[in-house]
Amino acid sequence: MAGRPGTNPTTYSPSLKTQKTRSTIFKDQEIDWVRPDGRGFQQCRPAFFRTGAVTAASGSAYAEFGNTKVIVSVFGPRESKKAMMYSDIGRLNCNVSYTTFATPVRAQGSDRKEFSSMLHKALEGAIILETFPKTTVDVFALVLESGGSDLPVVISCASLALADAGILMYDLVTSVSLSCLGKNLVIDPILEEESYQDGSLMITCMPSRYEVTQLTITGEWSTPKINEGMQLCLDACSKLANIMRSCLKEATTSSQE
Amino acid sequence: MGGLSLGEKNFIQGGIAQDLRSDGRKRLTYRPVSVETGVIPQANGSARVRMGATDVISSVKAELGKPSSLQPDKGKVSIYVDCSPTAAPMFEGRGGDELSTDLSVALQCCLLGGKSGAGAGIDLSSLIVVEGKMCWGLYIDCLVISSDGNLLDALGAAIKAALSNTGIPRVLVAAGASGDEQPEVDISDEEFLQFDTSDIPVIVTLTKVGRHYIVDATSEEESQMSSAVSISVNRKGHICGLTKRGGAGLDPSIILDMISVAKHVSEQLINKLDSEIAAAEAGEDDS
Repeated sequence: MAGRPGTNPTTYSPSLKTQKTRSTIFKDQEIDWVRPDGRGFQQCRPAFFRTGAVTAASGSAYAEFGNTKVIVSVFGPRESKKAMMYSDIGRLNCNVSYTTFATPVRAQGSDRKEFSSMLHKALEGAIILETFPKTTVDVFALVLESGGSDLPVVISCASLALADAGILMYDLVTSVSLSCLGKNLVIDPILEEESYQDGSLMITCMPSRYEVTQLTITGEWSTPKINEGMQLCLDACSKLANIMRSCLKEATTSSQE
Repeated sequence: MGGLSLGEKNFIQGGIAQDLRSDGRKRLTYRPVSVETGVIPQANGSARVRMGATDVISSVKAELGKPSSLQPDKGKVSIYVDCSPTAAPMFEGRGGDELSTDLSVALQCCLLGGKSGAGAGIDLSSLIVVEGKMCWGLYIDCLVISSDGNLLDALGAAIKAALSNTGIPRVLVAAGASGDEQPEVDISDEEFLQFDTSDIPVIVTLTKVGRHYIVDATSEEESQMSSAVSISVNRKGHICGLTKRGGAGLDPSIILDMISVAKHVSEQLINKLDSEIAAAEAGEDDS
């Protein structure tokens, strides 16, 4: 079948993008990067959130930022077989996994242990654990398609799912990442931009309290650049929080009708 | 170490507020550091670093491999940390996995730079043998033998010392290798190339207890922390990586303040480490 040209249906053909060798777009430091999807350097992708995606879970949310699609479901507070010891504050258990079709090249769908622990750290500062002693809240995140800036989308979606489940939190947690390409700071990078980046900054914050719960910087940065990057991200985080709040309000008004 | 009583907690916090910690140090003073290199003869490079009661060993092994197709002119480095049960009984089996993953990720973030390889502490292009076909892969494995706080700083120092001690064998490529075939290489047993480690950053962890920051916390002090920020600074004073650890939120201005304090502290630490490493290497050559 593969050997007969001209008889293949033209409805869909798998792309051969993975066979091409990666061209070096960025040899010269002077060239300004033009973003493939036409956004400005300080423009985030349009965010789409929907709560109540999984009916079996206590709370759930689906987020779509361009090509990055994530679904998070929250179970609990419930008894956990793993927790042997009595504790007078609740436990949080996080798990982030990728589907096998999430990446351009099929990879074994596995847990990302480091993403799971980063999600845990991002959320534990915001959840009021004292309200559910002796029980556990499980947060399961599944990345359906990885289009760049995955962990920030997972974190924002997870905090929306926790809000949908009714778990008491100090504030919504939002997260944005920033890439440094040459001398440009590019916010909310896509997969292609992430592979060329010289450095990255990922910030997770609670916008109303103006507190940073997690910050990860890789690559070489000077202090004024870090300052500029942090201000950009914090601004984007507060705008994202407004979008998340309006999504939650919509969900409650539509359920009241 | 069991739980701390309320009196002990107040003692630690009060001491830090008055710039006098339980062992007599000031807030921004490190414990005495001792470095030994060449502790593992079979590895290409190794080092053991002791900071007070924290004891870590780091070893570097170099193996020939194929470079990744995305970056054909760069070698590969992978960093892995293992917490041994000798440090704490809870590290046996899977117990130490979470801490190991945390430390490995933090070290990779601090030492390996961005995806394109820029800003990396280690110069990856010096590891290439035949562009696109063969490169050295450095496998950096660290072992935590005894843990008394401040593991990340000790691991960073151990990696720096191990890399200064690393000798990569000289490789002679047979001429006339064609097309897709693997070129024939002759790995010399005699000549070694020393690694240039002057650009490798050090990691400074600032632990926030109450309203003050301390450097090089012991495990008692770490149990009282509200949050910690680990900053990797190189000799030029540039930040090569930063991770915030710990649960509580921090105001952004506090983070910027911590960065400037870390830069200030890192100058002394870099000088101290360099002199210790040089002394260890000299001592090893004599014996």
